[in-house]
Amino acid sequence: MMKSKKLLCAAVSACCLLAMAAKPAFADLLDDITKAKKIRISTDLAIPPSGMMDGTMKPTGSDVEVAQLLAKDWGLELEFIQTTGATRIPNVNTGKADIIISTLSVTPDRAKVIDFTNRYATLQSDIGCLKSLNVKDWPDLKDKTVGVSRGTTQDTMLSNMKDKELKIARYDDDATGVTAAVSGQVDCVGSSATIINQIGVKNPARIFESKIPLASFDLAIGLKKGETRLLEKLNAWVTENVKNGKLNAIYKKFHGVELPADMRG
Amino acid sequence: MGGHLNINHLFFLGHGALWTIGLSMIALVGGGIAGFVIALARISPLKSVRIASGAYVQLIQGTPLLVILFLGYFGLAAIGFSVSPLAAAGASLTLYVAAYLGEIWRGCIESVPKPQWEAAEGLALSRTQRMIKVILPQAVRIATPPTVGFMVQIVKNTSLASVVGFVELMRSGQIVNNSLFEPFMVYAIIAVVYFAMCYPLSLLSQRLERRMGRGRLTLAPA
Repeated sequence: MMKSKKLLCAAVSACCLLAMAAKPAFADLLDDITKAKKIRISTDLAIPPSGMMDGTMKPTGSDVEVAQLLAKDWGLELEFIQTTGATRIPNVNTGKADIIISTLSVTPDRAKVIDFTNRYATLQSDIGCLKSLNVKDWPDLKDKTVGVSRGTTQDTMLSNMKDKELKIARYDDDATGVTAAVSGQVDCVGSSATIINQIGVKNPARIFESKIPLASFDLAIGLKKGETRLLEKLNAWVTENVKNGKLNAIYKKFHGVELPADMRG
Repeated sequence: MGGHLNINHLFFLGHGALWTIGLSMIALVGGGIAGFVIALARISPLKSVRIASGAYVQLIQGTPLLVILFLGYFGLAAIGFSVSPLAAAGASLTLYVAAYLGEIWRGCIESVPKPQWEAAEGLALSRTQRMIKVILPQAVRIATPPTVGFMVQIVKNTSLASVVGFVELMRSGQIVNNSLFEPFMVYAIIAVVYFAMCYPLSLLSQRLERRMGRGRLTLAPA
């Protein structure tokens, strides 16, 4: 499996390079969207609480509502393009989707292959541990196993902290990571505050709390490089909805906390 | 987040299960036909055909299915051909199954005892007659268990199609699990559904083996 993951990464990079080399096409994505009266948004519906399904199997979550708000404001029909974390970027780079709204953190590596709008939300990541555990700082984590979701920015950050001598356990998605914590496989996790709280909800005997702040990531809408007009229009939309507080309201509804002070409108 | 399993979740899983069955059918029918051609090409009297088909088998068997799927969907789109997830997944699975079944069946054809080939030739049967009347009927019997074994594997391998945005059984389970956080229940249901798909295949294999086994005495090697 490890080998195929590596090959997949190689394939992703190859496709992205191909896509970049293949054109600058003269067609403008914004015109295409307007003409089709439909916007195709790449959203992973298996990363709660940003993208998930409600009891009637309808998409819900903070990213889902942001996407719905955008489609409504622009008077477009909305189509969710099913994606997994790893295929979000290939989806826009190969024209399978128009934009990404899927907890996409802004990183320099990603900015090399796609364009980002201004941030529409942030995601606070913490190291959360069992409440009874005496963890105050990084040295306390030595010899403890920290669970993360594979391929997330938390995974990358912790993996780069070679000097901290962490043991990292990588799980497929948040739900499996939560299960590892609930069932006692790990006593610490690197994740968002929402997920850390969810562990105690599932098993009141194992309440987790945030112990060490990890980082705050800016989340932005991602799109194919060079679509300047679409990028400008998206940026205007983000700025307006930060100002009128709508984005903050959506975030608070699903994540239980507000966005940073300068984004509360 | 949270909540309890309800009928809507089950419908969603059922919908995923239908896609798993559909993808498996496409893979097995398409791959079966192409695989048969590959098997014949692998034992062709023409050296160039043998080499070409051998190269195809080596290439596909040496590549993870995940990568074939990925290249079929995103790779073709990157060079300007847009294919739907269904077309990409169907074609990739067909390519993959053809290479394996072709190689399995080549082995089965070649394991029909040499004297049978010689005897058929001694009766002045043409190459086509020899294949259809003598060799293939015996090869089919040998081929049944490994073919079914591989089919069962393919049913489960269709889960990789989630990489091209397909919501089949495994991915639908993942989505449900990420809204309920009840992995034991969700994955147990999925395991039962996969079993319900694969077990009939195994039963069918047993029945076929028994039925064809009856002719065994008369087909014994000379």
